[in-house]
Amino acid sequence: MPIYLYLDRRTFIHRLHPTVKILAVVAIFWSVYWVDNPLWLLPLGVLLMAGAQLTRAWPNFYSLRWLFVLLVFATTLTWTIFYRQGKPLLHLGPLFVSRASLEYGLGRGIKLAELLATSVLFLSTTKVEEFAFGLGELGVPYRVGFAITLAFRLVPLFIDSALTVVQAQSLRGYDFDSGSLITRVRRYVPVTVPVFMGALRKANNMAMALEARGFGYGTRPTSHVHYEIRPLDILTLIGVILLGAAYFLIYYTGHGAIAPG
Amino acid sequence: MNATNVKTALPSEGAKDLAALAEPADAVALEDVSFTYRSAGRPALAEVCFTQRAGEMIGIMGASGAGKSSLVKCLNAIIPGFEHGHFRGVVQIHGRAVKDVTVGQMAPIVGMVFQDFEAQLFSTNVAHEVAFAMEQIGLPPDEIRRRLEPALAAVGLAGFADRDPTSLSGGEKQRLAIASVLALRPSVIALDEPTTDLDPEGRAEVFALIRKLRETGISLIVVEHETEEMRECDRIVVLRDAQIIIDQPPDRVLSDAALLAGCGIRPPGLNQALWALGIDAHARSVDEAEALIRRSFPSLPPLEWAADQSSSAPECISSDGGSAPALVEVENITHVYGGTVRALDQVSLTINEGDFVAIIGQNGSGKTTLAKHIAGLLKPASGRVKLAGRDRASMRPVEAASLVGYVFQNPDHQIFAGTVGEEVAFGPRNFGLPASEIERRCERVLKAVGLESMRDRDPFLLGRGERQRLAVASILVLEPRLLILDEPTTGLDYPQQRRMMELIGELNRTGTAIVIITHTPWLVAEYARRAILMRKGRKLFDGAVRDLFSREDLLASAAFRVPEVTQLARRFGVSALTAAELAAALRGSR
Repeated sequence: MPIYLYLDRRTFIHRLHPTVKILAVVAIFWSVYWVDNPLWLLPLGVLLMAGAQLTRAWPNFYSLRWLFVLLVFATTLTWTIFYRQGKPLLHLGPLFVSRASLEYGLGRGIKLAELLATSVLFLSTTKVEEFAFGLGELGVPYRVGFAITLAFRLVPLFIDSALTVVQAQSLRGYDFDSGSLITRVRRYVPVTVPVFMGALRKANNMAMALEARGFGYGTRPTSHVHYEIRPLDILTLIGVILLGAAYFLIYYTGHGAIAPG
Repeated sequence: MNATNVKTALPSEGAKDLAALAEPADAVALEDVSFTYRSAGRPALAEVCFTQRAGEMIGIMGASGAGKSSLVKCLNAIIPGFEHGHFRGVVQIHGRAVKDVTVGQMAPIVGMVFQDFEAQLFSTNVAHEVAFAMEQIGLPPDEIRRRLEPALAAVGLAGFADRDPTSLSGGEKQRLAIASVLALRPSVIALDEPTTDLDPEGRAEVFALIRKLRETGISLIVVEHETEEMRECDRIVVLRDAQIIIDQPPDRVLSDAALLAGCGIRPPGLNQALWALGIDAHARSVDEAEALIRRSFPSLPPLEWAADQSSSAPECISSDGGSAPALVEVENITHVYGGTVRALDQVSLTINEGDFVAIIGQNGSGKTTLAKHIAGLLKPASGRVKLAGRDRASMRPVEAASLVGYVFQNPDHQIFAGTVGEEVAFGPRNFGLPASEIERRCERVLKAVGLESMRDRDPFLLGRGERQRLAVASILVLEPRLLILDEPTTGLDYPQQRRMMELIGELNRTGTAIVIITHTPWLVAEYARRAILMRKGRKLFDGAVRDLFSREDLLASAAFRVPEVTQLARRFGVSALTAAELAAALRGSR
């Protein structure tokens, strides 16, 4: 299970200032938020694909391909069924499909895929330490930034221990796929208890090791790596601000919505 | 590793500042230190007094729960700053009382390295990891960059700056943890069982580093179970029941058989051999032990003749007889991780009824993967596993469980129930055995592992050794004909290790075939009959333990050490795996 998506390359996106990258992510999220129409979501998709091409991040997208497919498919399907507007193309009992509901559903699916793609792109090009540094520059307290770093560190450890626990219990005839809902929930106990106890112990060890390495020393921590704001960073920043403004304008003028019909 | 780098990395400014302030040369002084953990009924430390002169290397030994970790944790205020409880007494580092400080503030003065190396690394690359502590104490970025490379060079990780710590071996991870501590230039470094979770190669790396650090004049405190590593200390401090029993140079401590037995410490193998021959002495090396024996037994043949003998005819015992029926047949198993890494490459082997097999090899050599294939926990990329003549893949779980049981390394990966009895009954219940049968089995198994009086206790309140035996019981209750145990003695002290191995030996005598994965040479020598040596996913050796220990070339290539007793025996042309065997052979040839 790859939790660190970071790819060690030297592309211009990799070398952008972490704060600029965080702001770019915010700008893309913002742009995605304002429009529902798949047509207007398309340019963002192209932009993200260009980003993936530029950073050669396709392997990460490939390894997460099922997540993308599932996300787009499930969301499109759900929203197509529940969005009951416009002239029905198909109306069979509770089933209702119109051009508008199709567009809306597809839009929702693409939106989610774009949010995910933005995150994947960000994590493929940014170390968690850079992420924490960028957050610090934006005024986020050091401990919050560090907690994020630590979360990335802990998740794979927990997944690992959960897999081991499942293996260990399966050899004792443990099978949580059978029985009624209540017996199933109770059947999770043999996995959740060891994982939870192990997590507590690990967290305690980690906290101890952290403090022994000076965490909570009292002064404001320094950073041995320093990121300069370069002309390319400023250009990128202007670019993403314009992008955000443009998408707000599209929404404001009513172009981003789905035409009922 | 570069000696000049070590020098530039280590002279500790902090130490000099502190030393200037304090007249006494003691790096560490504990006066009447007592501590009781909040949840505990009895003290972890009781009026402990202890001093360490600057530059000394002190070994701390004792059984589990004797107070070793607690003592070390007092040095950097983890006790009482992090661990809560009742604390009394004075701890001084270079004459300065450790009082009203946080653990973090102690970091530049006392460095601490822990057993759990996974939990000590927080970063995505090695440079960030080493910089972390320096950033925390607010060193200027220029200074941090200046210290980075020397610190890495000092632990032999020069050029690793951009590596991902998760891609390092266990020994490298632990050395990285040491580098990140070194970068702060503390005057005292305490290492709390730094090699317990490492393979023999990792252990050797870390102890070689400790020796190097010692030459730089840093004060070192090492908590360790294995006596062989402790012979080089200036002093050994032995704890028992929260108190210091003895604080003397190694020759005094390690030559006192009664003391070691009373404190749950395994005597060094060489000393065991000397004592078995009636020589009351302490040997620091195989050479010394040989000289001592030759002095007491002048009639023994000289070395040249002996060397001849050993090369021509090592005494050999056939491994498994070959006549016993096959229980497990592994046929050309290949296992591939992540699409590319071959964890197992065309491995075949047979395990017979009644076997006692040790699988050895470095971490990452495929030991656990092989064992998991035998247990049917993994699906091979190619090849197959047969249990009692039938394909493992076609068996129902309940059938397989009655043939092969697997005890995981960490008992805490499977313990969840409210009582010991419930924990043991979990497996048979899952397989739908009748209540009377479950009761009969639980009773028998709890008795076998010596937990019959603890049936209604909460498993989480048991000690590590007891939890390990409970884990064995909860698999044993399924009555498998083969029991696989992954490192059953890791994290146990000597009496607990003995008890666990005696239990496994008894199971084997009563008909259960045993496969253990282990890193401990003496344990292989004393208990296993057959050994399988793995390297890089391939089976390098499969035969009698005695034969394996005469193949030093093979063992060296897998970084596995021959027990010192066996090395000593070879000097006399004898093939012996234990002190008793050696003594018997020498007495016989006299």
